[in-house]
Amino acid sequence: MIRRGKGVGCMWYPIGFTVAANPSAATVKVNEDGTATLLTGTVETGQGSLTVLAQIAAEELGVSTDDIHVVSADTDTTPMDTGAIASRTTYVTGNAIKLAAENAKKILFEVAAPLLDVQPNQLEAVDRKIQVQYFPQRCLPIADVALQAQFVMGRPPIGSASYNPPTVGMDPETGQGKPFSTYVYATQCAEVEVDDETGEVDVIYMSAAHDCGTAINPMLVEGQIEGGISMGIGFALQEEMLFDDKGRQLNPNLTNYIMPTSLDMPEIDVDIVENFDPTGPFGAKGVGEPTAVPTAAAICNAIFDAVGVRITSLPATAEKVLRAIKEKNNSEQKFIPAAE
Amino acid sequence: MVDEVKVAEKTEKLESLRKIDDNLRLPSVPERIAFPKEIGVSAARMQTPAVGQRATRPDGRMHGLGQTKYIDDMFFPGMIHAKIKRAGIAHAKIKSIDVSEAEKMPGVMATLIGSEIPVNSFGPSLQDQPLLADDVVRHAGDGVAAVAAVTEQQALDALDKIKIEYEELPNVFDPVEAMKENAYKIHNNESNVYATKTIMKGDVEKGFADSNFIFERTFTTQMVEHVPMEPHASIGQWDANGRVTLHSSLGRITLGRADIARTLELPINRVRVIATIVGGNFGGKNEITTEPIIALLSKKTGRPVKCVFTREDEFISSTTRHPFVMEYKTGMSKEGKIMARKVRLICDGGAYCSWSETTLGKACILSAGPYNIENLHVDAYAVYTTKTMTGAMRGFGAPQVCFAYESHMDDMAAELGIEPLEIRLQNAFNEGSASPTGQVLEAVVVRDSLEMATERFGWKEWQR
Repeated sequence: MIRRGKGVGCMWYPIGFTVAANPSAATVKVNEDGTATLLTGTVETGQGSLTVLAQIAAEELGVSTDDIHVVSADTDTTPMDTGAIASRTTYVTGNAIKLAAENAKKILFEVAAPLLDVQPNQLEAVDRKIQVQYFPQRCLPIADVALQAQFVMGRPPIGSASYNPPTVGMDPETGQGKPFSTYVYATQCAEVEVDDETGEVDVIYMSAAHDCGTAINPMLVEGQIEGGISMGIGFALQEEMLFDDKGRQLNPNLTNYIMPTSLDMPEIDVDIVENFDPTGPFGAKGVGEPTAVPTAAAICNAIFDAVGVRITSLPATAEKVLRAIKEKNNSEQKFIPAAE
Repeated sequence: MVDEVKVAEKTEKLESLRKIDDNLRLPSVPERIAFPKEIGVSAARMQTPAVGQRATRPDGRMHGLGQTKYIDDMFFPGMIHAKIKRAGIAHAKIKSIDVSEAEKMPGVMATLIGSEIPVNSFGPSLQDQPLLADDVVRHAGDGVAAVAAVTEQQALDALDKIKIEYEELPNVFDPVEAMKENAYKIHNNESNVYATKTIMKGDVEKGFADSNFIFERTFTTQMVEHVPMEPHASIGQWDANGRVTLHSSLGRITLGRADIARTLELPINRVRVIATIVGGNFGGKNEITTEPIIALLSKKTGRPVKCVFTREDEFISSTTRHPFVMEYKTGMSKEGKIMARKVRLICDGGAYCSWSETTLGKACILSAGPYNIENLHVDAYAVYTTKTMTGAMRGFGAPQVCFAYESHMDDMAAELGIEPLEIRLQNAFNEGSASPTGQVLEAVVVRDSLEMATERFGWKEWQR
């Protein structure tokens, strides 16, 4: 019989390295036409980080995402970066980029101030313009200011900066300390169908609510969450590297190491929890790793709700679930002596 | 007389054969991929302010049109191919390696063994891993020799000709067994435990004494692979000035460059690492793998050398997710408040440290869950075993401990007759809560996420 169940999994996760320094540096070069080039040492690993980083630079310069071209991941040309690890790119590299763009913008403001007859600290960069705060009609296109800066004033608007999240070392005896600058929180809920005759588990629906501070690009956040859930489903139900008694792997191929495919994916609803972290770039934190964290917990709790068995060892394969169901049924059976 | 029927049959047969041949024959010049020259940019990319926009990715267009160049798509003039010989034996002393037969094989241009690498060790915390094992093999996927040949197939054929004599050593597969004093010491250390972490907060014994109920359960998790779409790949080019350029699928180039320079004994400014668009990382590409090996093969041959892992290489020789053994003991009040928690984590660290120390640290801090627990004691150990090494993988120990603490939570909720959502809301961090390490937490939204996800799910109205 197919039995349905619901389960919840909740988690917290830090951004950046545990105590250890993990700096990022960045350079932003504003071109003569107001577009800009961003140099970063981080690596695009498919998550869309370069787009998010371009958005951060664009926001600081008051231009659009498309106005930023990103050059990345070449040790000869790009500044140092600790890399695409520890869910740190948006937060740490993003902060470095925001500071670098701020430095480039400072040059633009200093060049624009006399032209607009104000002090540099009265200016803001909005909508491809350098304008006076609270008096937007006095403004100049950013392109004009950048051209003026480079070719008239001889001050190319280039900014560089670095960022390292502040931490406090942990006591070796008690572990007390401030190992991370910030954390994110998330909950996922799973609805499963368990066949109590075969032990097979089918995840039919998941809802996920993740905190990532400000979502710099909500579409990419959703993509990360859906990808994380697929990885979480593999971890919960299917994937396992097996070894023979000599320590050699038995299934080093995708025929026998079973990953979830698109056909295994449930319907997913994603929500982004509204939050703002004052230490992040425009309030952003990160979302990469946390998305794969609570999925297995939610699914195993849903199995427990459906058939009343607690899976204590992952993955919850059909064999394991069926064995647990049988054990439970056996222990519940009462011994009735035969009638004499 | 000509049998016309027979001739017709023969022509037809020839024609069909020719067709098959045409279908099989690859075009000598690949068809040009046409793409629209006028580029329509999505409105979200043009919008200001930029933050919060659903901006599309410029690389998405390249992927969609098949224009992205991954390492395997790159060719350089004169480029040759490298393959790595795997030990195939989990734990053994290497008595001898003979590559002379392999070097005589057709197409083979160079071989490399561990003793030829200037500094044959690397690792982010402990430099305990050889690039090519030269003394002891500690897991079956350990590389023992490399071959560079004109084609991949020639390199593969040559691998079979490499003769290695092993002296088998005892295997240690179970991390709990490996922790025991009498276990065989895989790295000749005093113990196979190579990292320990502790967190102590409040007074657990008093907390347990004050509890109405005490729950205990042990959880375990398995070893899994990252399985990125693109396997590890790199191309090395040693130039006439003694400078090496590496196109690599590394996820962290700055530290990778330092590691490569260290193993090759080169000044850092003579190493250039270019990471192309990486086809999935998930933590598996956070450290060097074959880069110094192909750099040296390129130095030996004067040719660009490419090495792309097969899926099997990826499984047996790259890092994986740590299996954990997690013992949980939690004291609860009858109202459902967590009074005290004791956790013992044993992480199967595999043959080499890699990122295990960091993983253990994160798992240790996160193991209590996003809950207010005044009395907490966590002990965590990373242990060597003679299995594929475990390292960084999306979540750094968090998916393992989350599976344990959340399963444990529902166990307790069921015993106490409290709704799973209620017990979580009752114990969840608030704004200003102190973390297990005593850090005051800000911008805490555990409750909001619990309420949002369950509301979307329809948790309260849900019916079986």
